[in-house]
This record gives sequence, C-alpha cells and structure tokens, in this order.
Amino acid sequence: MATSPREKSWQLQLLLLPCVLLLGALVIYPALYSIYLSLTNASLVGVAATHPRFVGMRNYFRLFADAEFWNSLVITFWFVVGSAVIGQFVLGLTSAVLLRRPLRFKNLFNSIILLPNAVPEVVAGFIWISMLAGGEHSTLNRIFGVLGIPPVRWLEQLPLLMIVIANTWRGIASAMILMMAGLSSVPPEVLEAARIDGASPRQIFRFVTLPLIMPTIFLYMLVSTVTTISIFGFVYALTRGGPGNATEIVGVYIYNQSFTAFQLGYGAAVAVVTLLVSVAIGLVYVRALKVQV
Amino acid sequence: MSRSKTVGPKLFDRDGVAYVTLSLIALFCAIPFLWVILSSFDGNASLFLRWPSPWTLNNYIGIFVREGGARWFFNSFLVVGTATAIVLLFSGLGGYALSRMKVWWKRPFLYLIILIRVIPPPALIVPLYKILLTGNDAVGSLVRSLVSPESVRPVMQVFGLIDGYLGMILVFAAMQLPLALWIMKTYFDTIPHDYEEAALVDGANLFQRIRLVITPLALPGLAAAGLFAFISAWGDFLMPLILVSSSELQMLPLGLFRAFLRVQQIDYGFLSALAILYMLPAVIAFGFARRYFIQTFSGGVKA
Repeated sequence: MATSPREKSWQLQLLLLPCVLLLGALVIYPALYSIYLSLTNASLVGVAATHPRFVGMRNYFRLFADAEFWNSLVITFWFVVGSAVIGQFVLGLTSAVLLRRPLRFKNLFNSIILLPNAVPEVVAGFIWISMLAGGEHSTLNRIFGVLGIPPVRWLEQLPLLMIVIANTWRGIASAMILMMAGLSSVPPEVLEAARIDGASPRQIFRFVTLPLIMPTIFLYMLVSTVTTISIFGFVYALTRGGPGNATEIVGVYIYNQSFTAFQLGYGAAVAVVTLLVSVAIGLVYVRALKVQV
Repeated sequence: MSRSKTVGPKLFDRDGVAYVTLSLIALFCAIPFLWVILSSFDGNASLFLRWPSPWTLNNYIGIFVREGGARWFFNSFLVVGTATAIVLLFSGLGGYALSRMKVWWKRPFLYLIILIRVIPPPALIVPLYKILLTGNDAVGSLVRSLVSPESVRPVMQVFGLIDGYLGMILVFAAMQLPLALWIMKTYFDTIPHDYEEAALVDGANLFQRIRLVITPLALPGLAAAGLFAFISAWGDFLMPLILVSSSELQMLPLGLFRAFLRVQQIDYGFLSALAILYMLPAVIAFGFARRYFIQTFSGGVKA
C-alpha cells in the first residue's frame, strides 16, 4: 500500500497545480500580455477597442518623449525616497529602538503607531483630505495656528511633500516591526561586551547594533521600495494625481492614461517600463534572500 | 548591577527623551483619526475638526437606512471572504507541495514567486482588464445559451469576470496568493516530516494525510496567511475601481469613494461613519496579525 517516491512526487505537483493555474492566468499571462498590448494601439473606445492595430515601438517612442511620463517617474522617485527610505525608516527605527526600553505605556505607544497601518487605502486618503484641507479651520492649520503660522493650502502649495508625509504616516509600523525583529536578533552578550569595554550607548548603536541589523535594513529597503512603487488607491483617493499632475505617481499615471484617456496600448507601455524597474529591484531581492530550498 | 545608583538621574533623562520622542510619533499617528471619529458622531459634521453638536448616531444608522450600506458590506465580505478562502486552500496545498517536493524547477519556481510579489498591481490592470473582458464575453455567450434571456443579467452578476462576483473573487485571490504561498512554504519547512512519514507507513492515502495530519499542523501558518490576505484584499481599491460598475456589486471602498465625489452635497458625517465601519474589520484582523507580521518580509532570511 505504501506510496512510491515517484507517485508521491507526482501527487505533490498536483497539489501545486491550482496555484500555478491561478497565478498563470491572472498574473503571469497578463504581465506577458502587457508587452504585446504595449505594441498595439489598443483602446477602451472606438475602432481600436475591437480591432487594435500593431504599431511596433510607437508607444515607447511617444513615452520617452512624453514629459508627463518623466514627471511621473520623478515624482514616484521622490515619493519612494521621501516616505519609504527616509520617513518610515527613520521614524520606524527610532520607535523600535525606544520601545526596547522598559517604558510605561509601552503597549499603548506600540498600538497607536501600528494603527495607521491597518487603515484601508481609501479611508487613509479621506482622513488626510480633512487633515490637510485649506482654510484656518483644518486640523493641520489649527495646530500650526497655535504656533503663529498662517493657514496654508497644503495640498495645493506643497502637494508632493504632503503625500510623502501622509504615506510616512501609513508605513511607520511596518518599518518598526521589522526593525524590532532585527534588533532582537542582536545577541545581548555582544552589547554587554561593548558596554564593558567602555563604549557609550551612541557608540554601541553606531558600531555594534547598526552593522548587525544591516541585513534587516537592506531587506526593509527592498520590500518597502517595491511596495511604495505599487501604491495607487491611497494617493488616488487623496489627490487623484493633482493639482495638475504634481502627485501623479506612476500607478496613478497608468490608471489615468488607460481608464481616463482610454489609451490601453499606451498605458500598457508605461506598465511594462514600471514592471521592468520593479523586476530589476526584485532580482536584487532574490539574490539577497538566497532562497532556501 | 549598580545601574540604578550611578546612572539614576542620567537614565531618567534618557527615558525622558524617549517619552517625548515616542509621544510625538504617537501624536503624529493618532491626530488624523481625531476628525473622522468625532465627525462620525456629529449631526452637523464638516470637513473641519470640531466638537460634535449635536451628538448623534444618525450617521451610522443612515448608512444602512438611507444608503445601500448593508449591500456594500455584504459585497465586501462575500468577495474578500471567498477570495481569502480560496487563498487558504490553494496556498495550504501548494505551500505543502513546495516545501516537500524535490524537482529541478523548484528553485526557479520560488524565484518566480518572489518576482511576482514585486509586480505593482497598477502595472497589471490594463492587460488584466483586457483578458477578463475576453473571458467575460466567453462566459456571456455560454450563459446566454443556457438560461432564459431575462435571467442572463443576474447570472452574469455572479459568474461574470467583469462586473461580476466571480471576476472580483478570482482577481483578489490571485493578487494575495503569492505572499500566502510563500508564508505556507516557509511554515511547512519548519514542520518535521515525521508525522507524515508515520501516516504514510500506516497506509494513509494523500487525501487522508492532508485532512488528518497536514491540516492540523498547518493551522498557525494558515492563520497568518489568511489574515494578511484578508487585510490586503479588504483595503484594496484599485481592483474594484476597474472591475465593478453596477451599483448592486458596489463594495465598501467604492461606496466611500463615490459618496465623496458628490461634490455638491458631501455628507461628512455619513462618510466618516462609513469610514469607521469600513476600517473596523481591518483593524481587528490587524490586531491578530501583528505577531505574524515579520513573515511578510522574511523569506528564508532570518530577520
């Protein structure tokens, strides 16, 4: 009755089949199909919707000459650097380091910092619309009013900075949790040894802790870069890319081109470029993880 | 040893700095919630922060009485719940297989899963929409040949790939599957093979081994995978925005978004109450998911 190794291997591959089919049909095939679409003039409306024509590299030529596309790449770059690489990381690491101390209200602090991470994209956008509204009665302007700063129309005057700050708010928790795990993997004996050798807490952090959590930091940077490039709903709900296209990160740009301007072929070309950038980062990620098999 | 004696005052200082810094970060995290909470109980809510007057529950009641709120909740729970169930089933079986199999394409396959995880969903919407549209036409002609003309529309709302439950469920499941598969694979890697070997020796077939041995062992891993799939799909806005148009299929994120677009008459009290109810399931799930969080980042790496 015993199952032979060969039969067992066959059975295992069968168990994986549903995953392969679903991912193949709705992730891998679309990703490859987007390459084909990007070489056509496919559209949501008109003749090109039913009978798209092959147009070769025309979408790509247009793309690289399109100032709006470069604008969205530059905005995405600053969005990622400002919120994921700097904002979330600095605040997350700070919180993680401080919460290792035996403080009172530690759990309260922890829970409050985690809360924004659980909020759905649209709700986060909605909340920040009120936070950043113009006029002297909006939440942020009131806080600054107490400090004697006149009201600012935040989303119109400093749009990019505002989506960076709002996105920092959403992601402190993920940085904090990962950094906590990294910090707790630092052996206490090493820290104790450094302390005995007379190192100051600052020196211990700089020369002992930081090098030891470097792999964790690297992992965080990769994952958060990729996830931040993927953001759509939150920024779309908050600004829809505006004013003008000052906050048109690449996800919003793809959506606007494809479903507002109805140019599916052109949108697909943008998608392919985005895909290539992400996969390049992904390849670094794969190498860094050194997948255990 | 003599820490408290020698560094007493200094320690107090450093803790003081810690309290101030943490309080500032916590304030930054908490302040944006103030408005949405207060205005959800406010009879005259506006875009601006103010103390509710009069206090009322009408905003919450209105969601279900005046608007189709019950429908939005039903749709969200149905779509996200079913998608999560599919993710659990597929990732449980697939993760087990990936952990145990020894085939040449295992490593390339795992690399592929990581690469899939970095694909930004916005980059997929265009081809996905086209593919689902083609599939939807096929389903449509099949349905039309099977049922009477007047029941085509209700049937398509269930089985349609565009503007139908099935399409939403499959897309959500596919988007959440890579992470779940990864969590389950690494989880099964930590479970010794002994139990299955024993069951194998006892003559249990594959189905029995899955049901009696593997599933009970997999429960903690499945909890993590399911929670993350649920939270992520629950909060997603992009896919409903593209795939759903009819009001009967409206889900919470779209209901909230569209209510906000009624420029002339935005009811902030209603919107706030809806936002609170919409985020509650995610917050609760997140509370449970906290301790598993690290698994979403680390794959193979000990973080």
